[in-house]
Amino acid sequence: MKILIIEDEKTLSDSIVDYLDGEGHLCEVVYTFEEAVEKIELYQYDCIVVDINLPDGSGLDLIRLIKKRSITVGIIIVSARNSLDNRIEGLEIGADHYLTKPFHLSELNAHLKSIHRRISFNGSNELVLNEIRLIPDEHRAFVLENELVLTKKEYELLLFFISNKNKIITKAGLAEHLWGDHMDAADSYDFIYTHIKNLRRELLKKGCKDYIKTIYGLGYKFDLT
Amino acid sequence: MRLLTKTSLNLLSISLFIYLFGVIAFYYSLRVQVDSNVNKEMEKRKFSIIRQMAEAHDSVSQPPNRNEIMLVTPVEKGGSPDRYADTLIFNREEQRYQLFRQLGFSETINNQSYDIRIFKSLEETDSLIVSIIMTMTILVILLIVTLLVVNRYSSRLVWSVFYDTVEKINKYDLNTHEDFALKDSDVKEFADLNRVLITMTERIKNDYLNLKEYTENASHEIQTPLAIINAKLELLLQAGEMNEKQYKALSDAYEATIRLSKYNSTLILLAKIENKQFPESKNVSPENIIKRLLENLEDLIRSKKIEMVYKIAPDITLQMNPYLAEMLIVNLIKNAVRHNIKGGKLVVELEKSYLRISNTGPDHPVDESILFKRFYKSSSSPESLGLGLAIVQKICALYGFGVKYHFEQHMHCLTVLFNGNDRIGLNNGLI
Repeated sequence: MKILIIEDEKTLSDSIVDYLDGEGHLCEVVYTFEEAVEKIELYQYDCIVVDINLPDGSGLDLIRLIKKRSITVGIIIVSARNSLDNRIEGLEIGADHYLTKPFHLSELNAHLKSIHRRISFNGSNELVLNEIRLIPDEHRAFVLENELVLTKKEYELLLFFISNKNKIITKAGLAEHLWGDHMDAADSYDFIYTHIKNLRRELLKKGCKDYIKTIYGLGYKFDLT
Repeated sequence: MRLLTKTSLNLLSISLFIYLFGVIAFYYSLRVQVDSNVNKEMEKRKFSIIRQMAEAHDSVSQPPNRNEIMLVTPVEKGGSPDRYADTLIFNREEQRYQLFRQLGFSETINNQSYDIRIFKSLEETDSLIVSIIMTMTILVILLIVTLLVVNRYSSRLVWSVFYDTVEKINKYDLNTHEDFALKDSDVKEFADLNRVLITMTERIKNDYLNLKEYTENASHEIQTPLAIINAKLELLLQAGEMNEKQYKALSDAYEATIRLSKYNSTLILLAKIENKQFPESKNVSPENIIKRLLENLEDLIRSKKIEMVYKIAPDITLQMNPYLAEMLIVNLIKNAVRHNIKGGKLVVELEKSYLRISNTGPDHPVDESILFKRFYKSSSSPESLGLGLAIVQKICALYGFGVKYHFEQHMHCLTVLFNGNDRIGLNNGLI
């Protein structure tokens, strides 16, 4: 997938590129509104990650421009402003997701994956990973054709793991993904543990290998290696 | 005591004192004046009597005036000096004593010594003095009353600017962004006061706005570096081979960054609520928010084995900002879930006039006065931010809702009263 990252904070955009490295994406980075407009007009991207506050313009204007040119592209906004107005406006003018800084790279990656799935399979897709098969539209998961019995949160957890396979996912990142930023991270760690325990038990019961590794007290890894 | 009352009282007491003193002094000076007049008159009378007696050979006619009496007594030896005195004489006709001035003297006329006494009634002069004093009293009282009334009225006019200023200062709120307009006054002192006050409030307001802007900008600017730290730490985690100690250090740093960022965004939210930056208002259904939220927390509640009880009246809407409505309910319920015990109970009650979230928890009441304080944390959950209920309180304050805590039958109950601090709801056995 071809991704354009528009973020004036160089260290942050580098981090995003680093994290996405090895996911098979082609990432390009620009730091200003002008450069972004140029890139968008010259090349075709599958997804753009755009900061609202650019030194020479607003990311929202960029999205408006994209929509005006009828360019089909997934859009993820990252913004330091956790303003509801911005969020609503961003989503209304056609962004797919809105992430507030600071965000978890795993969360960004999961959103990119979902955009990727949507554009590459036109929505009706299946996600196959070794013996696991997911049908995201129907919220169903199978292991070797045995359907997994999962709660909504457990299903989301599995999808999140698969989106960030082979990467360490922190408990805080997991908590935020599952419950949004309403929950204080610390509260939900016990529940994450419960969910993971249930998910792992269900996967093993249906004949799946034990991919979920606990990394010290830090987080988890869906390890396929 | 009001300044006006105070000055009026002072004026009144001092003028009364001076008046009393003045009246007494006036009375005595009049008395002395009148007495000396009477004395002079009697002196004249004395010589006319002596002359008459000398001419008429011992006989003297009684004075024609009823106010005058004359007593002539022949004595053996004369030559005693003139004696003036006041005396009371019984008036048989009117059956009462009357005040007379008396002059006694002895005189030798035609070789016969006489002791002669002349009495002159003071009745008339006395009543004159009394009527003068009375008139004066009435005049002075009228004068004082008029002065007081005029003084009061004019003071009220003059001080109205001052009272207006006090009222405005009292109502002034830095957060309302209203201009601090004071009435003009032609009294120099008040004009000075108002001018100084306006300059002062302008300065305070500017300082306050600067500080607020600084804090807000700082909070926003902090989010980007935090995002970088977060991202770099997450990348470092992925980098691979590290020992447990290093992972632990990284993990701690990561957690701390997240907490910092949560504090920051929550404080920004609180500041925004204070600044009334959520003007949009809609009909929101608390029921829908509660349902949505509890669906999200379903697994959490189940794993804590919390028994949920709903007492939700149908079709209740609130006129408020949807985001704030959600924040209000989220924080209340989050609080009730967090401080709950395993196998506990959570009751959500929604009525037209109130929303109550009750939960089991530590089996002792919490001090209400510190419950809503920022950064207050119970010992049972040290990781929490301690800002949830501060947000609840701020939102309630914004919409004029009352929020009350009480502990009843092992349940911690937080009640949001939609009609402010209306006690009616509480008296109906609801609390």
